[in-house]
Amino acid sequence: MEEQRYVVFMFPSVSYALKAEKILKAAGIGHKLIPVPRHISSDCGVCLRTTEDKQQDVEVELLGRVEWNKVVLL
Amino acid sequence: MPVTTIDARGLACPQPVIMAKKAIEENEQITVLVDNDMAVENIRRLAVKMACGFSVTEKEGGIREIALVRTGATSQTPVDSEAIAAEMSCAVAGKEPGPLVVVLSDNHMGRGDDVLGDILIRSFVHTLIQLKPLPDTVICYNSGVKLAVKDSAVLDDLQQLAKDGVDILVCGTCVNYFEIGDQVAAGHISNMYDIAETMAGAGRLLRP
Repeated sequence: MEEQRYVVFMFPSVSYALKAEKILKAAGIGHKLIPVPRHISSDCGVCLRTTEDKQQDVEVELLGRVEWNKVVLL
Repeated sequence: MPVTTIDARGLACPQPVIMAKKAIEENEQITVLVDNDMAVENIRRLAVKMACGFSVTEKEGGIREIALVRTGATSQTPVDSEAIAAEMSCAVAGKEPGPLVVVLSDNHMGRGDDVLGDILIRSFVHTLIQLKPLPDTVICYNSGVKLAVKDSAVLDDLQQLAKDGVDILVCGTCVNYFEIGDQVAAGHISNMYDIAETMAGAGRLLRP
């Protein structure tokens, strides 16, 4: 079985991540709020993880509503 | 010339190896008497490190007689007992650190702000699955049981922990109180006997 590939959305602050989570929840897009992986940042921050195939759906939902910094492939 | 004999019987680690090191630095050949395997093993390692010949003979009453012989290239580093203690395994046999138990007593982490506390507990539980070594047991009680139900944001993490062999105890009284007994989807319902016993027997108790 091929291993599931994930992307994480990074936000300027925790409140952006929370807002994005609410939007994705309402849109029914599977996601998970996780700590920013250590290899990406040493800050104690959170980011939104989703599967790679949902990246575009997430971007469409968030566009113009919540700003994000970058998307990183895990 | 008689061989210098070091009597290290009944002494606690790292004393025997420190005495042996000091003696072999001052003598070509020594005999060390010890009464436990830990001391034998530590002196064996010392011998390797100092390029000494090493042999051990079992004597009566569990006593081991160790012969150390310098082979010429022995270093003359000063005896630093702390360094030796740190280097040698001084863990007392059979005294492994007890189980690591994580207590989730709340569905938030810390006090002050519940929105933040919610984010933090989710991050914490997610991070647990990457912890090495993994906890032996996770106990959920009071509102912590809400982390183990169907719509919990950390359900997948708790299920992963369970899959990896972590025992997850979910307080039965608590799920009954919150009327979510039928929604528990990770771990198994437990009681205060198991919870109290597990906590009392923990080597370390982690409570976020």
